[in-house]
Amino acid sequence: MKILLKNIEEPDYTGSIQDYRRKGGYTAVSKAIKEMTPEEIVEEVKKSGIRGRGGAGFPTGVKWGFIPKNTDKPIYLICNADEGEPGTFKDRIIIERDPHLLLEGIIITSYAIKSHQAYLYIRGEFVYGANRLNSAIREAAEAGYIGKDILGSGYNLDVQIHRGAGGYICGEETALLESLEGKRGWPRIKPPFPAAEGAFRCPTIVNNVETLANIPFIINNGGESYAEIGVKNSTGTKLFCLSGHINKPGIYEFPLGISLRSLIYEHGGGIKNNNKLKGVIPGGSSMPVLASDEIDVSMDFDSLANIGSALGSAGVIVMDETVDMVDVSLNVAKFYAHESCGQCTPCREGMPWMRDIISRIKDGKGKKEDIDTLLDITYNVEGKTICPFGEAGAWPIRAFVNKFREDFEKHIN
Amino acid sequence: MSKENKTVTINIDDQILEVEKGLTILRAAEQNNIYIPALCSHKNLTPFGGCRMCIVEVEGMSGFPTACTTPVEEGMVIKTHTAQVQASRVEILQLILSEHTSSCLICEEKDECKEYMGTIRKAGVTTGCRYCPKDGQCELQDLVEKLGVKEINYPIYYRNLRVEKDDPFYDRDYNLCILCGRCIRVCQEIRIANTLAFKQRGPKTVVGPAYDRTHIDAGCEFCGACVSVCPTGALSEKVSKWEGKAEREELTTCPLCGVGCQIRLLIKKNEIIGSLPAEDPLVNNGQLCVKGRFCVAELVNNYQRLRKPYKTQNGTKVEIFLEEAVELSAEKLSACSPEQFGMLVSPNCSNEDLYIAQKFARVAVGSHNIDTTARTFYGTGFNAFLNLMRMAVPLSDVLKASIILCIGLDTRFGRSVVGVELRKAVERGAKIITINPRHHNLTMIAEKEFQPVPKMEVNLLNSLVMLTEKKKTPTSQFRSKRTTGSLSGELSTVAKMLKEASAPVFLVGSEFLQYDESPQILEAVEKLARNVSAGILPLPVQNNLFGSVLMGVYPEFLPGGFSSTGKERIDNLRKRWSADVPNFSSQWNAETLSSGSRMKVLYFIGEVPPNSRPPSDFLIFQNIYPPDISYEPDLVIPSAAFTEMDGTFINGEGRIQRVRKAVDPPGEALPDWEILCRIAQKMGIKGFDFSNAREIYEEISSLIKGFGDFDNTKRKANPMICEGELNIPETRPSRTKKADKKFPFLLSVSVGEHTYRGFPLSTWVEGLKKLFTEGIIDINPEDARKTGISRSDEVIVTSAYFEKIWSANILSEQTQGTLHVTLPQGESIGNNPHPVKIRKKDV
Repeated sequence: MKILLKNIEEPDYTGSIQDYRRKGGYTAVSKAIKEMTPEEIVEEVKKSGIRGRGGAGFPTGVKWGFIPKNTDKPIYLICNADEGEPGTFKDRIIIERDPHLLLEGIIITSYAIKSHQAYLYIRGEFVYGANRLNSAIREAAEAGYIGKDILGSGYNLDVQIHRGAGGYICGEETALLESLEGKRGWPRIKPPFPAAEGAFRCPTIVNNVETLANIPFIINNGGESYAEIGVKNSTGTKLFCLSGHINKPGIYEFPLGISLRSLIYEHGGGIKNNNKLKGVIPGGSSMPVLASDEIDVSMDFDSLANIGSALGSAGVIVMDETVDMVDVSLNVAKFYAHESCGQCTPCREGMPWMRDIISRIKDGKGKKEDIDTLLDITYNVEGKTICPFGEAGAWPIRAFVNKFREDFEKHIN
Repeated sequence: MSKENKTVTINIDDQILEVEKGLTILRAAEQNNIYIPALCSHKNLTPFGGCRMCIVEVEGMSGFPTACTTPVEEGMVIKTHTAQVQASRVEILQLILSEHTSSCLICEEKDECKEYMGTIRKAGVTTGCRYCPKDGQCELQDLVEKLGVKEINYPIYYRNLRVEKDDPFYDRDYNLCILCGRCIRVCQEIRIANTLAFKQRGPKTVVGPAYDRTHIDAGCEFCGACVSVCPTGALSEKVSKWEGKAEREELTTCPLCGVGCQIRLLIKKNEIIGSLPAEDPLVNNGQLCVKGRFCVAELVNNYQRLRKPYKTQNGTKVEIFLEEAVELSAEKLSACSPEQFGMLVSPNCSNEDLYIAQKFARVAVGSHNIDTTARTFYGTGFNAFLNLMRMAVPLSDVLKASIILCIGLDTRFGRSVVGVELRKAVERGAKIITINPRHHNLTMIAEKEFQPVPKMEVNLLNSLVMLTEKKKTPTSQFRSKRTTGSLSGELSTVAKMLKEASAPVFLVGSEFLQYDESPQILEAVEKLARNVSAGILPLPVQNNLFGSVLMGVYPEFLPGGFSSTGKERIDNLRKRWSADVPNFSSQWNAETLSSGSRMKVLYFIGEVPPNSRPPSDFLIFQNIYPPDISYEPDLVIPSAAFTEMDGTFINGEGRIQRVRKAVDPPGEALPDWEILCRIAQKMGIKGFDFSNAREIYEEISSLIKGFGDFDNTKRKANPMICEGELNIPETRPSRTKKADKKFPFLLSVSVGEHTYRGFPLSTWVEGLKKLFTEGIIDINPEDARKTGISRSDEVIVTSAYFEKIWSANILSEQTQGTLHVTLPQGESIGNNPHPVKIRKKDV
């Protein structure tokens, strides 16, 4: 069952509007705009049970329902294409290979939330992707899917690309909004949530690329048939990004609920050099690592949460027995210390301390207490920051220490 | 019903409280005297949520919400001091301290150190190792005490940032910064100046102007609002850095321009150690400019203050007692005929000083020869300026205006509180239009800006007058050789805007005041205001100009602003004073000082007329600082500064405001009125037996309406009432002075306006030397290129009448073909603007 890679996996698919339409593209837009009311679309998406693919897994239809009724302010849709989570490269594939799939999702969603202006906030480094999207927007506008009076319906929509300037934090939706407004990319204090007060203080929905790319399917096939894919509470298919010590790294699309073991050994071709598995990060660098005996987990939102990790962005990073977890955690800690925005104390000060302590452990200068200090910091940061970046930096470090404490102790003795 | 609409019931630490809806938990707690620690929060600023010290537990909410950002909700149950919250706070505080050079906070010897300064580890004995200038006033220090932090689990990390001391008035040591962002928020939200921002990110985050520019280059107004809100020692005033905590405060009125801001003087041991804005809703709303915020202490504390009188005997200075000075003055003045007497008194003096000065001249000497140097400052435009003051509206009208026309106004350093109001006005949708031949700080917020070439201002304003004429007139006669098409279009747009605006307001700054055409410019402004029913607020340079007219310290004006030629008025005064007041006969004024006939006695009170000593037999110089050596005064008497006396000022809006004595004057210095009263009494003149300013004030209010009670002055804004005009010689310059082949540039001149009692402020306040640059000539880059002049070059400026050398500043905003220079008061180049040629020195 392929929804997102259906076109991309076809060998000579170019991603042009002709190709996309040949494959049945833009039928969902006509159906949505001509035959459905915005409320019906929201209802359909609620029925599909789809949860946000950016990492937090919030039900998409519910989010759309938060837009205040009868607001006299303009409503904005923002597509979050600031894909920056280490180990994650799924949105990029959609953007570069099948941009019209994303655009169709954006158009339908804009119509559903009654927005006439959509912004595509794309990671600054995605130069090719931005160019690709720009020409796709042009093609779609020429074909009458974007612009004034779309398909004769009287509905107007403008889609604009905004390129980021290189900050991981701008993937956090409120930091993204600040950045979009031309300000420093710092998360906002919530509430108010973007649906009530987002871009330019107007109601705003921020959705991930992959989420939006699922919308055309839901419209074409109905929410119920989408809900049949996957497992309870985790419906639909998901893009998994396999990387690390794995024989066949890459992007895979499977219904949610596939077991991590089969993902690694069956589809990913197993561990490189037939080495033993040491650990797997299941959802991008900010999610707690799983030990080798935890991989029989079903890859869905609830099952991973139940064992203390999370699906996140489904960036699956596989590490074999040759890996020293101190190295990995230093790498991760460096990343979060570098990307902390600096707004609130625990993160600004805590992340560098984690980095420095791990660094001195690695250099053999660690003290016995350091391991506990490290754990202390993770608790001081978790839940005490303005945005989820605190957890994103604290959770993985805590998991590395708890699950691979012997690696740390080795350096100290 | 009202309860449901306006309040909610919450529970904080088992106290049931009814609080206003919409408050944050932190504010609600503060209002009910429940302490929640907080560092980044500030009562005037939007919540930031950065320091995380104010985390609390709220039933039903996950994690630890911050009290400063979470709004109260009906039925909320909040715990502010659970064991877990307290432990987390200590941990977070430790994280803050780990990057704060904080040894002073947790040093085990700190108590002894404070008392004996026994530990000399980091600095000299002056500071001990408690080297932070905010010691004792640091909010971080308080918090460390309150939370009982004794040690830090992390090694102290010193960021090793360079301590920034290059800019005037305050030092910045960002090693002490805790990144609470208060300075940035006050700069952005309250001042709307946006000079400061966060730079870099994460642990590298620092505060400063974008792109690492200096504060001066970044447009900083040096208002000091950031320094006031800084919770640590990161931002500290240079002057009072080590003064510590003030012992008391006194509310008074700033005398450094006509806005009349209310300031709080900080006092320690009979010395002014600083000044802060008062939360005064009528005038400055808790804001100040660089002068009021940073200059007061330096101005009144300079070591060169006069402490004892002295006389000049055979060319040498002889220090004498005040009593002898009074005797000597009385003797000279008793022997002086009215026409041989002249008195200059400063419009920086209090009403009480001014009133006594003119009464002294008119009764004790029997002369109307009393004047101020405001006459020379405003020159031929003085009457026109007074006309505008007769129409003055309160500054608060700016709040209601939809369009504000700013004429010759700059609000960066002077009048910066007005600038704040203008930026607020723009935020709420008002439009700003500026007319100024020079580069100024309002261009950034102006909807329309006109930068007329010098000499074209009258034309420009007159065409606006014509375009707004209520009766239809023939089409505008405005013609401009260069920009007719687009300019006339712009002018029509602006005329239309002004006509359609509700309650437009005109603010008049000081750019045009020294121009030859200032009377015509100001008259056109007046006409334009009448055409569009606008309110005008001229913003005088002299803080008590209004008072000087009302007190009658001009030959032409009696107290109340009445004309001295009015016989009835004089008779009335004779009755009120029970004294002989001469009928008006005076040819003398400040303009004739140097050119007129030799006087027997000249008496300068707070005035330092330009150039050297004017012709006189006996010169009394009464001021807070000694005169320039070239004056050779016969007698020098020390005055009290405004911080050392009681009294009243009247600001440009006509508000009567109190001046309050904060400290004693140095040495034998006395308020000017007191010295004058003593001399008068010594001369045997009646009517000068005042023992305090209140009594004088009461006499003033018996003569002039609207003064009210001394302790509760009516601070109502009133346009000036004065009859008659100043006698200003009609020396209208010839209009033919245009740039030509020989003298291709048009040089316009402004006069340094930041003075106190005749002295430029920069004489006594070091930091101002960097901000108020006199003798620097602004040149357009293209003109500079053609003439081979670059920045800081010495430029020889030649006209048909003079040759001067000034230092060059290349300024792209200076219109091509024009030059500008600011000169000290009193220095003149004749016609203004003036055709000149320029060349680089040594070329």
